[in-house]
Amino acid sequence: MTLLKADDITVAQGGTPILHPVSLHLEPGEPLVILGETGSGKSLLAQAIMGTLPRDLAARGRVVLGDHLLDAARPGGFRPLWGRQIAVLPQEPWLSLDPLMRAKGQVTEAHHLVRGMTVPDAGAQATADLDRLGLAEAGMRYPHELSGGMAQRVAIAAARAGGARIVIADEPTKGLDAARRDEVADLLLAELARGGGLLVITHDLALARRIGGRMIVLREGRVVETGPTATVMGAPTQAYTRDLIAADPENWELRNRRPAGAPVLTATGLAAGRGGVRLFSDLSFDLTAGRILGVTGPSGCGKSTLGDVVLGLAPPSAGRMSRSAGLAPTAFQKLYQDPVAAFPRHRTLGRTLADVAPRHGEPQDRIDRLMPRLGLAPVLLTRKPDAVSGGELQRLALLRLLLVRPKFIFADEPTSRLDPITQKQVIDLLCETATTEGCAIMLVSHDPELVARTADHVLSLAPAKASEPDLSGPRVKLAGHLG
Amino acid sequence: MNTLMTRGIQALMVAVLIGAATFAMMRALPGDAAYRIAAGRYGYDNVDTAAADAVRAELGLDGPALPAFLNWLGDLLRLDFGHSLVSGQPVIAEIGHQLGASLSLAAVAVLLSLIMGPPLGILAGLRPGGMLDRVLLVVSTGLKAVPQFLMALILILILSVQLRLLPAAGYGAARHFILPALALALGLAAVNARIARDAMARIGAMPFYSFAQWKGLSPRQTLLRHGLRNVSVPLLTYLGLQFVTLVEGVVVVEAIFGWPGIGHALVHAIFSRDVPMVQGTALCLGLGFVLINAVIDLVTGRIDPRRAA
Repeated sequence: MTLLKADDITVAQGGTPILHPVSLHLEPGEPLVILGETGSGKSLLAQAIMGTLPRDLAARGRVVLGDHLLDAARPGGFRPLWGRQIAVLPQEPWLSLDPLMRAKGQVTEAHHLVRGMTVPDAGAQATADLDRLGLAEAGMRYPHELSGGMAQRVAIAAARAGGARIVIADEPTKGLDAARRDEVADLLLAELARGGGLLVITHDLALARRIGGRMIVLREGRVVETGPTATVMGAPTQAYTRDLIAADPENWELRNRRPAGAPVLTATGLAAGRGGVRLFSDLSFDLTAGRILGVTGPSGCGKSTLGDVVLGLAPPSAGRMSRSAGLAPTAFQKLYQDPVAAFPRHRTLGRTLADVAPRHGEPQDRIDRLMPRLGLAPVLLTRKPDAVSGGELQRLALLRLLLVRPKFIFADEPTSRLDPITQKQVIDLLCETATTEGCAIMLVSHDPELVARTADHVLSLAPAKASEPDLSGPRVKLAGHLG
Repeated sequence: MNTLMTRGIQALMVAVLIGAATFAMMRALPGDAAYRIAAGRYGYDNVDTAAADAVRAELGLDGPALPAFLNWLGDLLRLDFGHSLVSGQPVIAEIGHQLGASLSLAAVAVLLSLIMGPPLGILAGLRPGGMLDRVLLVVSTGLKAVPQFLMALILILILSVQLRLLPAAGYGAARHFILPALALALGLAAVNARIARDAMARIGAMPFYSFAQWKGLSPRQTLLRHGLRNVSVPLLTYLGLQFVTLVEGVVVVEAIFGWPGIGHALVHAIFSRDVPMVQGTALCLGLGFVLINAVIDLVTGRIDPRRAA
């Protein structure tokens, strides 16, 4: 029996279609994954099916949910189904729980008010729900006392307490590292195993692979490919799907290791902290021309602080750094995470770049020679930063660095704001730059797969609270040894 | 406990500052303070040089300033506020008498403002940019812009002089409360409503507010269970700060309506240079501010566990 069937769902903004007709059906026990990049319309599709689109967007189409027949153009009709038929999992579980109510209360109220149990029964049921999810201890805690994973489980219990059989999860792994991502996938599958349907909206290939079931690939508001997830991911028939899957760091080819070039910087026994918390200590490494040092670790572990120390923007609290003789201070450069914030907003990119070259004694035509090498069209120089894509802007930021002829580039999560395909292009360019320009690069990323396939050696920082950072990764090769 | 400690230190600093200011006033008073104090204590007819000398010796009035100041502060800490220079009664008895009248007026005004302001503000905040929201913005800005003395006069002119519904002044019956309390409450409600509106609009846009509805709760259940509690925290916090407006208002409004309260007493004490009374009333209002905020700290700490931490 089909749980949910949606026919010819479209979404338009003021008459302009932004989602072209999509049809889907959800079967019991078989997850459905909607995969797409930012702007593909995948979240709009989910919102149209739930009746939660923003007011200025208009949906059309027909949704059949059990024995309810609904018109997507009338979102008010969906409201009575929330909690009772459809459980919506929020993107950020921490922000989705009432900060002033204990965890158990947020589950109890749905049993009581939505399913109509008496208060004692609802309380007992909520306790049982939390026990089943391994949260027996957490019921009396407030959301700020829960970890992200616990909050996610409380949110799932609360979302399903009203008796809904269909779970819709919109980007449930946004901002999570690999381990937490798998945890969420397993949790969703465990809920599915209890009966009902599961619809997962994501851009995360690893999550899609783990969820399995069937898949719809969306691009710019249109369906590109549909089929069983394993088939689509294993043997995509469309060029776009192939590019998307090839762009997943897990599928990248291993970059050939480079021989060590001229030394750029040697660090011995570095330590630093921020706000009184020691972030890392006793770090030793060599940076040499043409090689990439990958830096990974959870957020807040001190990756950016390490960059500031190496760039000479912040003093280390212990240890020594020696730069090779004869390098100008400007030979040490940083590539920022958010390219939009790294350019003046109201000037054309051409003017911004033209200001840099003469200041460092470079001829203007160096810009023109670098543009094609970075795959940039000359017309981009006449535009302002908000009129070019994020990937183009990050490449322009790299071009600006190259004008200064850097010997070291600290790339701080340079692709975390970019879609997978663009991410691959930018990282490839960065690798090429290391070789062609003879730069030492320190590449920071929260994605261990990306670093493992790109870097010549890897430095992985432990969370700030742990006492010792450890070094690992497939190709660790470091000058010093960590205790 | 930490917050209570902070508030305790604040209270002490308020007392010392007010003590120092009034001590300076006392010293700067024209004429011989000893005679004034003696007159205050024993009555004008009984003042003679001997009495004044006795006071001077006791209070160290012509000695160096520092020991006299410490003596003054010592009295303060022993809660000995001295005697009124005008009535000769102990300051503490006078204030105790007036405080009741002021507190009841302030309580009625705050209650009235809470009945008017926050409900309208919450309704407006549920639909930001809606009709009610826009009307409320204009009305509350207008009300807040009217100074309290003008508000009091307008109310007297309309309700007492023109319509003859309520007495323009007086104290004792319930109907005497209405005008002064309303004059205070309108200004308070204007700001309460804005705070409630902004808090509600902010909370209504938070993911947890949508999530509560996705769980299946109706808009009403969501408001009652998740909206009001979250709105109450900024509202209560602001209520503590509004105490300043309230004190300001009590001084002005009591004077206009002839309300025998502490604000009225403060004004009179200032006019007649009755420094001990000025000190007593100012201290009472200052410590009241600290006390109210300490209570609000405790209450919001109860509601919002993140603050208690």
